[in-house]
Amino acid sequence: MSLTDLMSMAKPNIEAREKILLKLGGRELVNCFQCLRCTSGCTALKLLELKPHEIVKLVNLGFVDELASSDIVWTCVTCLKCVQRCPQKASPYHVIMALRNLAVEREAKVPEGYLKAVSQILESGLAEAVQDVVTRKMETFNRESLKLPKVAFSKESFQAAFMKIMGE
Amino acid sequence: MPRIGVYVCHCGLNIAGVVNVEKVIEYAKNLPDVVIVKHYTYMCSEPGQHMIRKDIKSHKLDRIVIATCSPRMHEETFRRAVAGAGLNPYLVEIVNLREHVSWAHGDEPEKATEKAKALVRMGVARAKLLEPLEKHKVSVEKNVLVVGGGIAGMQASLDLANAGFKVYLVEKAPSIGGRMAQLDKTFPTLDCSACILTPKMVDVAEHPNIELLTNSEVTEVKGFVGNYEVSIVKKPRYVDEKKCVGCELCTKVCPVKVPDEFNEGLSQTRAISIYSAYAVPKVAIINPKHCLRLKYNKDVCGKCLEVCEAKAIDFKQQPETVQFKVGAIVLAVGSEVFDAAKMPEFGYGSYKNVVSNIEFERIVNASGPTEGKILCPQNGKSPKTVVFVQCIGSRDKRFHEYCCRVGCMASLKQAILTREKLGKDVNIYICFNDMRAFGKGYDEFYRRARDLDINFVAGLPSDIRSDVNGLLHFDVYDKATNKLLEMRPDLVILANGLVPNSDLGEISALFHVSRSADGFLLEMHPKLRPLESAMAGVFLAGACQGPKDIPDTVAQASGAAAKVVDLLVSGEIELEPLKAVVDKDLCSGCRICEPVCPFAAIEMKSENVEGAEKLSAEVVEVMCQGCGLCVSACPTNAIKMQHYTDQQVMAQVRTAYLESGEKGGS
Repeated sequence: MSLTDLMSMAKPNIEAREKILLKLGGRELVNCFQCLRCTSGCTALKLLELKPHEIVKLVNLGFVDELASSDIVWTCVTCLKCVQRCPQKASPYHVIMALRNLAVEREAKVPEGYLKAVSQILESGLAEAVQDVVTRKMETFNRESLKLPKVAFSKESFQAAFMKIMGE
Repeated sequence: MPRIGVYVCHCGLNIAGVVNVEKVIEYAKNLPDVVIVKHYTYMCSEPGQHMIRKDIKSHKLDRIVIATCSPRMHEETFRRAVAGAGLNPYLVEIVNLREHVSWAHGDEPEKATEKAKALVRMGVARAKLLEPLEKHKVSVEKNVLVVGGGIAGMQASLDLANAGFKVYLVEKAPSIGGRMAQLDKTFPTLDCSACILTPKMVDVAEHPNIELLTNSEVTEVKGFVGNYEVSIVKKPRYVDEKKCVGCELCTKVCPVKVPDEFNEGLSQTRAISIYSAYAVPKVAIINPKHCLRLKYNKDVCGKCLEVCEAKAIDFKQQPETVQFKVGAIVLAVGSEVFDAAKMPEFGYGSYKNVVSNIEFERIVNASGPTEGKILCPQNGKSPKTVVFVQCIGSRDKRFHEYCCRVGCMASLKQAILTREKLGKDVNIYICFNDMRAFGKGYDEFYRRARDLDINFVAGLPSDIRSDVNGLLHFDVYDKATNKLLEMRPDLVILANGLVPNSDLGEISALFHVSRSADGFLLEMHPKLRPLESAMAGVFLAGACQGPKDIPDTVAQASGAAAKVVDLLVSGEIELEPLKAVVDKDLCSGCRICEPVCPFAAIEMKSENVEGAEKLSAEVVEVMCQGCGLCVSACPTNAIKMQHYTDQQVMAQVRTAYLESGEKGGS
């Protein structure tokens, strides 16, 4: 292979790259010209250092293996802003999803926090569990004390609906 | 007593934002002979001009001072405006409050206002002494000289010839066509260059109004706008142009092999050759440096003589000088390609597999050294990895600071051609700094390259090295991924920029056309007069004025042709009266002025005065450019520069140093 990443001695994996492009169902990814709008607006950048432009470029150059085994692709919060803002319809979000799928296929280690969040959703239907809030004056509030209705949730019907979507 | 009107322009906030216009007006009101002082937001606008015209009539003004932008910008405008009111246009004095005051001293408004007052005072002092002048008309030659037979020169020639002008097209090389003839395809449409160029070449050769002089150079230019006298030297071809039929029999028998200039030295031709497959005129030429008979001056070899059925070969040909008169000149001498050997870090010249973009054009072209097959020059193998490196010699303070404007698009095109010819399994990378795809259809072309899986690395390599087998290797840091990448290409193509011709200095001296800091020929104004040189009647077209792609070159060439038509179509032109005049009574005939004049505009005339022979200088009005050198050289003050007389200039100097409270009187 004529290209080497001298930081990690990695070589491009053209097969894996083609597989991702196939999953994306189009070749718009190669149109990325690194305007960096995706990274400038990335919700996950400030806390989790996700740089979508870098991921797109690495995939285009064929450096897929390192990404598929990294934690970074799991930090995307799927706000889809990059899809909306991309001037070349390269949509980094879809690349990140394809990389996650590839990681699962390869039985790579999925970060614990991510799995926790998934099981939380499966359990409660919510990204965050219903919690009590403590103010600076040490007063405690919850939905009941604020006279808010209870969160209506049927675990069974949610899971059935969820599995139905996943099945599709 | 003169009656002077002073007008102060705000130029929006350009002047009024710095200079206190109100104070300048109050000051000007008290200057001697000033009858009226007015101000306006934009003096150059129709209401501003109307105001001046109205005042000339109602206040009987006979001198106008306008404090506004540079006279280079609007002196003509205001001259026309006052002429509309019946005043002689040379009775207008422009005071430059914008370039000389507000733009230069934006951070010191109070001092700027004082300077503005002083300049207005000086302007009023000079205006008093202005004299009415008349423009003179001279007839012009309706012939045009076009120098350079590339696409620019061809386009200008065809446009002018179609407009009915006689065109002399002079080309240094044995064939017209220029750089474009060497190109394979053209961006962004991938038109075959030869397919769109060769019909034009034939049109040029066959046009009844175009006289084509190939293998020729301009050696002398005399005269002035509308009436230039030019001398051309036709270098010997040693082949009779009228007899040669271009059968190429001679090129097959010639035993001397020489590098083929048209193929950038990548293949060999013979000492007698035809310049290219589509040369116009299709006539053989003998290279005197390599031909055995011409080199040794003996009756040796002569194989071409034996085989030529048309008896066209003539070893006794001599350089031939032709002279003719033309009204205007279009310079379309083009540019050269940067020599990457000046940057040894890229290995060009050391490694055969590092080629320049113009060499790659020949490699990929069907009539080139490999008949269009992309092969590595060192081993003749088809490359597996091809890397293009941008900005070679351009955007580099050590060589050329400007952007070459074609490198990005040329590399995109060549990368696309590589993909088309070598298929999808070849790795193609472009190492770039900024990708500049600015023209019509250009960014779409850039996207097309990305669609074809051409990979872009945002960084330029620092060193390129090769192993003994010709496999190249280098490191490049990609700023998009923050990774140091190592590349091992079989073929590297350098995007060499366009640079001024090595003989552009001689050309600029020959035609009295200046050059800009980048070395190219200087236009009259970068935005408003881009087709004219500062020399009246000499126009610029194509890459000799600055690096250009084909669409821009053709547009500029047609524009220059239209400018020539504009100049010559009426058969006469008006000359500015800013000329030197000799007072015969004061002239001592010392001849000091004669060699000083750079335009050879001074003639010595002798006449019989009271029985004695008296010699005196005379300025040939049409040739004088009004530079004033003779005026300062004359020991007896016999030469006067019209519109810039000693009295006028001294009046300004005298009032310059008055305190702002004092009134400027002369």
